[in-house]
Amino acid sequence: MIKSRAGWSHRALMLLLMVYLLLPLAATLLYGFAKQWQTTVLPESWTLEWFGEMFRDLRFLEALWTSLYLCAISVALSLAVMLPAVFVITVYLPKWETFMKGIVVLPYAVPGVVAAVGLIRAYSGGPIDIAGTAYILIGAYFIVVLPYMYQGIRNSLITVSAVELLHSAELLGASRKRAFATVILPNIWPGVIISTLLSFSVLFGEFVLTNMLVGGHIQTIQVYLYRRVGESGHLASAIAITYFLFILALSTVLMKLGKKMNGVAEK
Amino acid sequence: MSASYLELRGIRKMFGDSTVLNDVDLTINEGELVTLLGPSGCGKSTLLRCIAGLTEPDGGSIMLGPTNIGELPPRRREVGMVFQSYALFPNLTVYENIEYGLKMRGADKKERQSRCEELLALVDLENKKDAYPQQLSGGQQQRVALARSLAVQPKVLLLDEPLSALDAKIRKSLRTEIRDIQRRLKMTTIFVTHDQEEALTVSDRICIMNNGNIVQNGSPEELYAKPRTEFVARFMGSYNVLSREEAGRLFGVAGGSAASYALRPESVRLLPASAGEARRDRRVADGTIESISVLGNIVRYSVVSSGVKLTVDALNDGQSHRGEEGATVALELDPSQLLALEKEGA
Repeated sequence: MIKSRAGWSHRALMLLLMVYLLLPLAATLLYGFAKQWQTTVLPESWTLEWFGEMFRDLRFLEALWTSLYLCAISVALSLAVMLPAVFVITVYLPKWETFMKGIVVLPYAVPGVVAAVGLIRAYSGGPIDIAGTAYILIGAYFIVVLPYMYQGIRNSLITVSAVELLHSAELLGASRKRAFATVILPNIWPGVIISTLLSFSVLFGEFVLTNMLVGGHIQTIQVYLYRRVGESGHLASAIAITYFLFILALSTVLMKLGKKMNGVAEK
Repeated sequence: MSASYLELRGIRKMFGDSTVLNDVDLTINEGELVTLLGPSGCGKSTLLRCIAGLTEPDGGSIMLGPTNIGELPPRRREVGMVFQSYALFPNLTVYENIEYGLKMRGADKKERQSRCEELLALVDLENKKDAYPQQLSGGQQQRVALARSLAVQPKVLLLDEPLSALDAKIRKSLRTEIRDIQRRLKMTTIFVTHDQEEALTVSDRICIMNNGNIVQNGSPEELYAKPRTEFVARFMGSYNVLSREEAGRLFGVAGGSAASYALRPESVRLLPASAGEARRDRRVADGTIESISVLGNIVRYSVVSSGVKLTVDALNDGQSHRGEEGATVALELDPSQLLALEKEGA
């Protein structure tokens, strides 16, 4: 009896929390489909006009595409640099780990606005004049995902005891490169994919840095959304919902992969 | 059997300021199983890793036959190693794990297959060849690790505490199995452990290590019967270690010149307090039983006599005298069993 009562109160609490979290989202969703919504609790009439307008607007699809490829390039770059770097540090230079741990939390410590102003000042003029271009954004994105990539790769390496796997492969006659490719990489791959997807969705939702660094020059989905909010609330709601669904799809893939990885480990 | 197959000379290793290996010399004959035995932190695993090439020593040479393997990378040393955690490749099946070394060495498919079948049979895992390491029990994983390192026919096999992650029963059966396989293949093997019972059962020769030194080196019988120092005496069994003064009090004579003495717990006999005269070459002392613990086939008494605390082991056969805690008993002591110990580090 006590157990069921505890279950009831837990459920009520959960419900309250869900309502609190989902209500704004539900309201946005309704607003995206509403034609007239003034004095009533629910909209008086419905329409698909806003979604239609959004998809007809070439700038929306362009912005979505721009965001996608900028994030993809940044994450790919991060992966290409961080995977070998973290591997070398964890396996051969463990003394550097303390230093690295300090470095990777820096992106958390510096607020986006401060970082953006600093970056713009440093890179407008001088030998590297890239302010306002995609290069500065990719560079900044690289830093933003540094903590996720570093921790993700490092944890995967530690979970599979990479050092011992590498040693036994070497003793069995494998060169270091071959050992990395045949034994280390296949085992850390699921963890690395998850870090990559996580980084991707973090970047996809990043607004402050993006708007300040390239807002006037490059229209990413975040910047586009920000512009359209001023024009029509209905349209902005439609964009926000589409954007949310996109992130939701990405997260689902991420969670599925996570489960798959755990499944393999428990087999 | 040729002499000194593997020869270590003056191996030295420092980690920061602490000396982990202090000019260690060790020679091992072909086909011999030598155990490095010692408490954790004594340098035994580091020595093993130096032989494998996973840790670089600060000084010394490692000769395997005529080759100085100390200068070669691990993959060219022809040394196999089984890790404490097995380090099996989780992405490969049992068969592929065993095959891995052969593949790396460029063996053709036919050769790999016959060698793998042979090894699967050797470790009795033919029915598990398509399983992944996570699907196996600890003991099975250990056997795969053993087969994997034997597949490439190493000249020396290194076992780094291979049984410490297993439960007592499997540990016992697996150590016999490892010993059998080692004998059958005449594989020169170095076995690292901190368990003296394990060392006594599997080894041809035991090297006891302490603080980066090999403090005594000999056959299991020799080490058990004649520990040279107090450390070895305490480590090899539940030896009673007595100071010169304590030995004098118990045996009624001011002993020899040694600083301390060792007395095997099974060499002392417990008699009822009313026991008559001692045999001629024995001495009888009074004592009080402090505690009794039954360890299966033996009963271990802790007895205080003349202010000296002694451990006494008696066979649990229901025949020898069994006192109770707090009871007064007589102890029959044999002076010829008193072993003089050298000073530590001598």
